[in-house]
Amino acid sequence: MAKESKFFNKVKDNEFYKKWLKTPYTYITGAVLLSLFQIVTLATTQNPWGVSGVFANWGAWIYEGLGGSVDKWYYFSSRGAQATLDAGFLNHPGTMRNLGIIFGALLATLMASQFKIKKIKNKKQIVAAVVGGTLMGYGSRIAFGCNIGALFSGVASLSLSGWVFACAMFVGAVIGSKLLVKYFM
Amino acid sequence: MNEHVLDCFGEACPVPLVKAQNKMKEIELDDILVLQIDHSCAMKNIPEWARKEGYNVEVEEIDDGEWEIIIEKNK
Repeated sequence: MAKESKFFNKVKDNEFYKKWLKTPYTYITGAVLLSLFQIVTLATTQNPWGVSGVFANWGAWIYEGLGGSVDKWYYFSSRGAQATLDAGFLNHPGTMRNLGIIFGALLATLMASQFKIKKIKNKKQIVAAVVGGTLMGYGSRIAFGCNIGALFSGVASLSLSGWVFACAMFVGAVIGSKLLVKYFM
Repeated sequence: MNEHVLDCFGEACPVPLVKAQNKMKEIELDDILVLQIDHSCAMKNIPEWARKEGYNVEVEEIDDGEWEIIIEKNK
């Protein structure tokens, strides 16, 4: 027991542990890493990085698993979308990447010894989460992308749409923050 | 000199930052604000804002995923 805590104390004070696993990276480091990995994504999957579109597929798979059918839905009616759905959950690169993000984030917070299950402070937080999540999900689908698929990948692909999305998102974030301060604080 | 403690456990960004900004306006010169947070992005944006304002700031990890940001209203 004493030996173990000695070991962990040693790790805790190690300069590389502090540098790589404990303290957050700078925005620049984050930006460089994100850029590198989005190039890897484009090279291996032939598609730009996206996050929220994958969730629509997850919803379709769950719906089909419950006995429903989405082939008549406009969003999934294209041959490409059908082929993706038919290939299944395990053959979908975006699904693997999203799972990787979730488990990677969990691993990072565990390695930094910062994992915590947070308590819900008041009912307003539940309302804010449900309303905010619904609006974000709906918005990302009618915009065909979220801040990653439409903004980050759009700008990285030298597409004008990425910049239009950026401007709209900036205005939306300002309005959203004002509403948040007014109604949820 | 008074010490003010603001419990922001369970609050997500940017609520702790906005609360800190409002509280700093309220308190008197030489008072100290202790901000309790458990949201790692607040650990970045609050000290950044406070240092830009010219306040003395210190961050302390008090438990797994819990921090106290101590801001001194020194000006």
